[in-house]
Amino acid sequence: MSEMALQGAKARTRSRVGLTVRRNIGWGVSVLALCGALSILGAIFSFVLARGLPALRPKVFTTVTSGIAGGLENAILGTLMLVAFGVLMVAVIGFGTGIWLSSYASPKPREFVRLLTDVLAGVPSIVVGYFGYILLVKIAGWQFSLAGGAIALTIIMLPYVVRGTDLALESVPRELREGGFALGATYTTVLLTISWPYALPSVLTMLLLATGIALGETAPLIYTAGWSNYMPTWQLTHAPVPYLTYVIWTFISQPFAQSHALAYAAAAILMLMIVVTNVLARSWLESLARKQHGAR
Amino acid sequence: MKKLFRILCAALALTAGTTVAALAAVDLLETGSSLVYPLMNIWVPSYTKAHGDVKITTQSTGSGTGISQAVAGVAQIGASDAYMSDAQLAKEKMLNIPLAISAQQINYNVPGLNDVHLNLSGPVIAGIYDGSIRFWDDAKIKSINAKYAAKLPHEAIIPIHRSDGSGDTFIFSQYLSFSTPSWKNGPGYGTTITWPAVQNGVGANGNPGMVQACQSTKYSIAYIGVSFLNETNKAGLGYAALLNRAGNFVLPTEPNIAAAANELVSKTPKDERISLIFAPGKNSYPIINYEYMIINPKQSSPQTADALKRFLAWALDQGQSKRYLDQVHFIPLPKSIVNLSKEQIAQISG
Amino acid sequence: MAASTIAGGAAKPRRPGVSPQDLVLRYGTTSCAVVTAATVFLVAAFLIVYSYPALRFNGLSILTGMTWNIGNQYGTGVERHGGFVAAPGASFGAVVFIFGTIASSALAMLIATPLAVLAAVAMHYRVPNRLKTLVNVLVELMAGVPSVVYGLWGIGVLVPWISNDLGPFLAARFPNSPLGGGAGSGNGLLATSLILAIMIFPIMAATMRDVISRFPKQTFEGAVGLGATTWQSVTSLVLPALKVPMFASAMLALGRALGETMAVLMVCGNALNLLPQNIFAPVNTIAAAIVSQLDSALTDPTGMAERTLAELALILFAITLSVNLVARLIMRGSDRVKRTA
Repeated sequence: MSEMALQGAKARTRSRVGLTVRRNIGWGVSVLALCGALSILGAIFSFVLARGLPALRPKVFTTVTSGIAGGLENAILGTLMLVAFGVLMVAVIGFGTGIWLSSYASPKPREFVRLLTDVLAGVPSIVVGYFGYILLVKIAGWQFSLAGGAIALTIIMLPYVVRGTDLALESVPRELREGGFALGATYTTVLLTISWPYALPSVLTMLLLATGIALGETAPLIYTAGWSNYMPTWQLTHAPVPYLTYVIWTFISQPFAQSHALAYAAAAILMLMIVVTNVLARSWLESLARKQHGAR
Repeated sequence: MKKLFRILCAALALTAGTTVAALAAVDLLETGSSLVYPLMNIWVPSYTKAHGDVKITTQSTGSGTGISQAVAGVAQIGASDAYMSDAQLAKEKMLNIPLAISAQQINYNVPGLNDVHLNLSGPVIAGIYDGSIRFWDDAKIKSINAKYAAKLPHEAIIPIHRSDGSGDTFIFSQYLSFSTPSWKNGPGYGTTITWPAVQNGVGANGNPGMVQACQSTKYSIAYIGVSFLNETNKAGLGYAALLNRAGNFVLPTEPNIAAAANELVSKTPKDERISLIFAPGKNSYPIINYEYMIINPKQSSPQTADALKRFLAWALDQGQSKRYLDQVHFIPLPKSIVNLSKEQIAQISG
Repeated sequence: MAASTIAGGAAKPRRPGVSPQDLVLRYGTTSCAVVTAATVFLVAAFLIVYSYPALRFNGLSILTGMTWNIGNQYGTGVERHGGFVAAPGASFGAVVFIFGTIASSALAMLIATPLAVLAAVAMHYRVPNRLKTLVNVLVELMAGVPSVVYGLWGIGVLVPWISNDLGPFLAARFPNSPLGGGAGSGNGLLATSLILAIMIFPIMAATMRDVISRFPKQTFEGAVGLGATTWQSVTSLVLPALKVPMFASAMLALGRALGETMAVLMVCGNALNLLPQNIFAPVNTIAAAIVSQLDSALTDPTGMAERTLAELALILFAITLSVNLVARLIMRGSDRVKRTA
């Protein structure tokens, strides 16, 4: 073998080795990052469950919070109601805004609204809460209310849903949409039958993320929904609403072991709610996808 | 079939009846001090079980929030560890009604000395918190602790203070202000004060945060509410005997707290706004305070006013029994204070 | 066939964009966008109007002052400045909070962003297919852990670990650096940054995983067909193409980090009136300061303390806005460079 050829072969082997090393380190670190994150999740879950288990009896689902412990029936229902209303409102406004951003907006207003939503994501939850308190509880006179709490949660979730819908629709391949237009479809039809189904999984990911964040919020609700030791009613204003995060935040500071156990039980139930919501949403999405495939 | 129909009617009537009763129930909201929250949580279930026509919700948000929301009418009872200042009262006429007396202990974590009671005084603690006394074996600490002088280690003291606005900070800083002129002219007192910048000084959130921080930081010192005495004992923290106005070192025991309260009974004005800190008397424990309910004399409706007055009257009567107060280490109000409070309650109307 | 159904069957083809449904859609979505924009403006307007007295009273000293002093609530007299009054002795300085906010968020982004991207890559390319849904759900679950629970875990597990294990370890290896000096109680800048990093990680990882999974398979396989390894294709082809979604999710994550309240409140050490000397020292952020100082501020009869807290929120609003603008400029700049090159 000539000298040059040998050098060349050596160089190719070196670079291939370098590539292999970089590749392996790359995959190794990626997997490590993922495993690290999941193990932290596991650590938090076991931390919460270990401390909440003593209070996680069936009774906790059928009694209201009273005194230094009690149950979580009122808080669970209240959380569900607040988040349900919030998600409903944020879905309408968020999807609408996202669709507008990707389909109708001209460049300058589009960048402007995108900037506004990103800035909204940075507003602390306590500020949203106090904003709601001054505007809704005091000025509008709603006192502590379901409506106030739901609106506060909507504001918190809005940036995620808007940006999520925006990004998801942007990622729909142009060819698919152009195909629809070429066949003579209207904007609405293209959106509803082509873009939206394609974008739905991504939109759902962001919506679930936002719902998770809303479920875990404390500060905005303390100042808008207040708290109640009793079962919530469907009254939209002038009636405070209980929620699980209040129990976690407040009862953990009590000098009684039962209070601590209830706080951790509330945390465990909350995290369970998020898992269930996630799993239900995804299986619904999968059944939808299966129906679409079946129709074709 | 007819029997089933009759049973259904009866069930419907029953639920309608309870719904009507529930709808007719008055809603009261208590919010504020986290120091008195455990006691409210012990009182309310007992009271509402016997009086089904009122629904009371308790909330722990902080003394300032309690006052502010009571003033705004968002809550009926604002719980506060501090009475309203003259400036605050000038803006809104509110009743400051004491319902219980609580106290505060000074905890420390000095390995080897946690099971005994060190003697500490206002000036010494002020010196620790403003950085002029830096080590546990400082001459000033040794001079009041002859018994343990040899065991005091040469380690830096880590003062822990509350970072959130709190009634505990209020009464603690009042003790320092009343006993130490340099502190009075310096940081002064309030629910939040400008803590002197001490190297290693730590801020903790809430009483549990104070317990946690003290427990995990060796050679630290902290001020913690007496309702957390069980927790601090469990955590293995020591608590100090404090120098009172008469010159004696006293522990936060019930007799000592009651002694302090009784000394100031005669000096309590009609509006009951008085500090119980650094009371005279040879056995008086220096850090005690009234737990106030801030209430608007003008309530939104006669029913609300009525329900409110009945609950407050109960709290001043059956609520003062040991089986409620012992769980939080509070002591009952002296008889004359109960009467003063009752007079204030009579001013509530709807 | 589909064509005739969509076109309505008849000979006349419809122009897209003029059917009545289209008008409804157009105006409906525009009004939603207006609502979104109006919400942001409303929050900003509220902050400006509510903090106006504080803006006049504090002037620029709030950006240079280190002491947060709400004044003597039980004293007599008032402090007068700029046409407004506060309790005697009051002087509000926010340097400590501003520094803590920026430092903890910057550190958190530095830690979380690369890890999130790498984890997203692993989630799509390395996780076996039957476990994919489970892993995706688990990562999204991380975003749903309540911030108070992160705070509790932080106090119960992370902070003691920093104080008892990490601190002494680093002090022994790097004694004379910002990493040395021992960890004290563990509550501080490092704990805050780590908790924030853990909290914002799932936002970026879940979004990135989602967009990576939508990358066109043909393009990817084309690269592999040309001889690139999977790793090369990922780093040179997939990730650069996904810069826009990566940027978007990073901005949302940064927003969350800047505004995170509860978890930070519990682990930051709540420093007042002094700046941290190393990464273990206590810090404070604007959001945490607002929560912890709000209750005391409410006892101020002049209301100035409360207004100044609103001013703090306004400052954070301004910080978030500036960071977003700067980041966008950088993105656009790098795009321009790429195109000219």
